[in-house]
Amino acid sequence: MMLFEVALQVLREAVRRRWVLALFIGITGMLLLLSFTLQLEVVDGALAASRLFGKVLGIGAEDAEVALRPLFAAGSALLFYGGLLFGIVATADFAPRLLEPGRIEHLLALPIRRWQLLLGTFLGVLVLCLSAGLYGALCFTVLIGTKTGFWMWQLFGSALLCTVAFASIYAVMLGSVTWVRSAATSAALGGVMFILGIIASNRVAIAPFITEGWGRTGFEAVTSVVPRIASLGLLAAHPDLDPERLAQLPTLLVGMGLFTVAVLTLALSNFESKDY
Amino acid sequence: MHALEVSGLTKTYGSALGRKQEALRGVDLALPAGTSFGLIGPNGAGKTTFIKTLLGIVAPTSGELRLLGGSPKDPAIRRRLGYLPERLHLPAFDTPPSFLRQIARFKGVAWDADQIRALICRVGLEDAIDRRVGGFSKGMRQRLGLASALIGAPELLILDEPTDGIDPMGRAEIRRILADEVARGTTLFLNSHLLSETERICTRIGVLNRGKLVLEGPLETLRQPSPRWTLRFAEGAPREALLALGFEPQDTGSWQLEAADAEGLNVKLDRAREAGALLVGLTPELRDLEKVLAEAMQEAA
Repeated sequence: MMLFEVALQVLREAVRRRWVLALFIGITGMLLLLSFTLQLEVVDGALAASRLFGKVLGIGAEDAEVALRPLFAAGSALLFYGGLLFGIVATADFAPRLLEPGRIEHLLALPIRRWQLLLGTFLGVLVLCLSAGLYGALCFTVLIGTKTGFWMWQLFGSALLCTVAFASIYAVMLGSVTWVRSAATSAALGGVMFILGIIASNRVAIAPFITEGWGRTGFEAVTSVVPRIASLGLLAAHPDLDPERLAQLPTLLVGMGLFTVAVLTLALSNFESKDY
Repeated sequence: MHALEVSGLTKTYGSALGRKQEALRGVDLALPAGTSFGLIGPNGAGKTTFIKTLLGIVAPTSGELRLLGGSPKDPAIRRRLGYLPERLHLPAFDTPPSFLRQIARFKGVAWDADQIRALICRVGLEDAIDRRVGGFSKGMRQRLGLASALIGAPELLILDEPTDGIDPMGRAEIRRILADEVARGTTLFLNSHLLSETERICTRIGVLNRGKLVLEGPLETLRQPSPRWTLRFAEGAPREALLALGFEPQDTGSWQLEAADAEGLNVKLDRAREAGALLVGLTPELRDLEKVLAEAMQEAA
């Protein structure tokens, strides 16, 4: 199917780029460094000591599963937020390159429909983001698992949630390119969405600090439609939260899904009628 | 059957400030299948807009348009045509085979490595087959672009400046390729600033000026509305008698004569022969395309 053919082309182009190689070398290098420097001593199921670069981390002897939770929480948060930020920077020029004069005309003269071109790019970038996240999660899990004998799958969930959050951000980035073909604008809008997503997650707490009236109403209106990035990040880092918070997950995912579909629909409608 | 039919095609661009610019102002054109058509005109005439409109890349404001009997919006129609844009941008990390394989996949053409290789050799890129496109010269990019347009044996080839940046030897190669394609039955739609190229490749010409097709027809007809003939006589021709008959001597040793029709020409020739001049060469005075374009522009103005 042409949609997948376009997505595959995006992936093929991505793997030929230096930054993708740098991403995988970076993830591998960081994990190798950790594997050489992090010393975890587990005795009879309890974490006796952990050292990083030879320094004791100050964790007393306790149940290894409990003791490792902060480590996995930190890893998950790093994967979630790091993945989002890296994704924004690294994929900002994908769509602008595809729409470059001399390339877009060539593509549009091929038997590809415009929606296939746009959604194929979206799909390809998401697969790339998910692959990088899963690779990092796999390496980190294997590293800790082989060192301690405890296997926790939390990071894979974090990689998946990161991809869902990135989908909503990338929809805005991709959509912006159908109006203004600029990698800088695309990256800037990705950054704005990232920050707005954190603010929107804390809108209830922030709203009282804004003077009552049109200011607060405006703030509440804007943040009501923005994906709750930080709320999802919190769930990614702490899946062991109380059930009430965990119950928010479906609502968060549906909200992000609706936002993504709405933005992509708007972008498609603009792309379909645009002259190149 | 017509490969291309356009009627009353207009395109008006609007700016954010409400200013409107008419790029195409009612273009009518019908090209029978197998024609080699050359579109010429000054910069800003709307040639590229016209080509993009034909391909559905630019939406027309009004008018009717049919390519190969269907709409250019239909992927099944686009599968049957090949297009080379004016400034083709190629992915820098691709090699010619990987780029062409991708285009073949997009076109739904199952070409194997040997066919791709043969096509690369056909456009003269065999020495650069393993090189990355990022290091290609403009001419090499054009050759690869042409190869991509030729994938899937298209029924209609739309080429925007195909020989731009290509050396003279390369141009001759490209001309041969295009001649082969036309001989195969492909309809060729060529836009080129190089009038001599257009003249050599195309049998039908259209002149676009300010968004209007001001002149269109077979090349020979457009080049020969002039009633002038160039003649060569054997040595010893009676100069005074020829001058008296209205023959005009040229620096090259030949003569020129203006005759409205074949009868008038033959009457003058008979008189010249009676005066002792022996005819050894007779050619119609053909106008070159530059002159055709200049005159069309003048008339349109």
